[in-house]
Amino acid sequence: MKNIALGQYYPAESPIHRLDARMKVILAILYIVCTFLCKNVLCFAALACSSILLILISRIPLRTVLRAIRPIIFIMLFTAVINLFFTKGEVLLFSWWKLQIYREGIYSAVFMVVRIIVLILGTSLFLTYTTTPIALTDAIESLLSPLRIFHAPIHEFAMMMTIALRFIPTLSEETSKIMNAQKARGVDFSEGGLIRRAKSLVPILIPLFVSSFRRADELATAMECRCYRGGKGRTKMTIPRLHVRDFVALFLMVAFGAGIVLLNRYGYGYTM
Amino acid sequence: MAELALENITYVYGERTPFEIKALDDVSLTVREGSVTGIIGHTGSGKSTLVQLLNGLERPTSGRVLLDGKDIWEKPKEIKKIRFRVGLVMQYPEYQLFEETIRADIAFGPKNMGLSEEEINHRVKEATEFVGLDPILLDKSPFDLSGGQKRRAAIAGVMAMRPEILVLDEPAAGLDPRGRDIILKGIRDYGKKTGSTVIIVSHSMEDMATYCDDIIVMSHGKVYLSGTRDEVFAHAGKLTEVGLDVPQITRLALLLEERGIPLPHGIYTVDAALDALRSLFR
Repeated sequence: MKNIALGQYYPAESPIHRLDARMKVILAILYIVCTFLCKNVLCFAALACSSILLILISRIPLRTVLRAIRPIIFIMLFTAVINLFFTKGEVLLFSWWKLQIYREGIYSAVFMVVRIIVLILGTSLFLTYTTTPIALTDAIESLLSPLRIFHAPIHEFAMMMTIALRFIPTLSEETSKIMNAQKARGVDFSEGGLIRRAKSLVPILIPLFVSSFRRADELATAMECRCYRGGKGRTKMTIPRLHVRDFVALFLMVAFGAGIVLLNRYGYGYTM
Repeated sequence: MAELALENITYVYGERTPFEIKALDDVSLTVREGSVTGIIGHTGSGKSTLVQLLNGLERPTSGRVLLDGKDIWEKPKEIKKIRFRVGLVMQYPEYQLFEETIRADIAFGPKNMGLSEEEINHRVKEATEFVGLDPILLDKSPFDLSGGQKRRAAIAGVMAMRPEILVLDEPAAGLDPRGRDIILKGIRDYGKKTGSTVIIVSHSMEDMATYCDDIIVMSHGKVYLSGTRDEVFAHAGKLTEVGLDVPQITRLALLLEERGIPLPHGIYTVDAALDALRSLFR
């Protein structure tokens, strides 16, 4: 439990790190749209190349990047298998009992896997790896601010996110402290059946809840002491500004999307 | 009774990451059986890490923790037994109370040991007496108690397991002077009456001087000084080098001595100083 990194932000000097967080949110959304525009081999090849290019530009070590994919390997395999066996097509390659594999099935399985990998890589490279959680919440607040017209509590929402992020390391430290304290009194978390294990969580969860409420209460008092009155009239310490590079990045992304649309026309082979 | 010793203990946090920190560096020490031993040092000197090694909550990066000459990690599956023999009270233990009543919470440890109902009741009563907790409070919820009372209940929870070695990390932190005295006296009583070894971690020289027989001074992850109370406080100069000091009253006695007033050595409490001064005027 020691030194858990909050989120996955990887500090580095790269053109992607330098982009405005708001622009990165927009770029990530556009990139997701691009992955869904892809229809044929050429497009998916271009998409895969773009992801590799993004990794290179972001200067994040490949091993760190691949860590983002690890949790979804199962979903990926599952999707691949489903697509492999259940896509009907024209060219039958393999048949055994009720299982049939068509050429189209192979294509569609590969496409889906590439799409999922690129989806995850795109969002992590634009958002979690290159943007600090605080910058990200600020960006979301700023992008959602037009909704204020409809009296949506955008500032409150962003403040809640910031506080939640801020307290993740605190609570995880607290959890390990309480766990150690109860272990010292003879609780064993790795012993016994399911029910016994669930029961052994009670001595952890109750103190954790109690201290969370205490912390929330203390924080609220501290904020009131400093005259926090919600978002109205509140200014920012750092005012984000869009630079030329942000617009260049946006232009490149739109151009990439247009390229994908064009490639869809000249595709050959299996089309999704 | 048991003897506790550390042998060339090194502990590294976040090994092979950019956040690597060496918390303990080749620490070797022996805790005298049946003594009250104080571990003192500044924040970050490695004392809290040290206590978590003593009952096997953490495993040393290298080196051995010896209980009666046997490595506690010899059979990792039986580490739970070690935790009953070496009782650990962590910092701010009042935040770990979770049962509906204080009685149930103090009984939690003994229950995990698989003791009989009768024995558990007996131990709860005994532990309550040691920490000076009013028996009326036993049937109250932990939330109805004051901070100091909760602290005493939490310490009783570990004492009720009757460990051969009782380790406490800052047991008196954040309490008022009266509360401090009650708790520290209770802890010392526990050690003397049951013959157990007691290890107290603190950064208050005053408390150490009043309640400890032996003192170990930690600095930057190493044992800086160790010995009996008199031996350690004889090195007043060495203590100031690492930002610690002898108790204020001891300092005063030393200053008086420099000015030619013949006071005996080893004055650590105001009462002792008073006695010494009185006998001078007689």
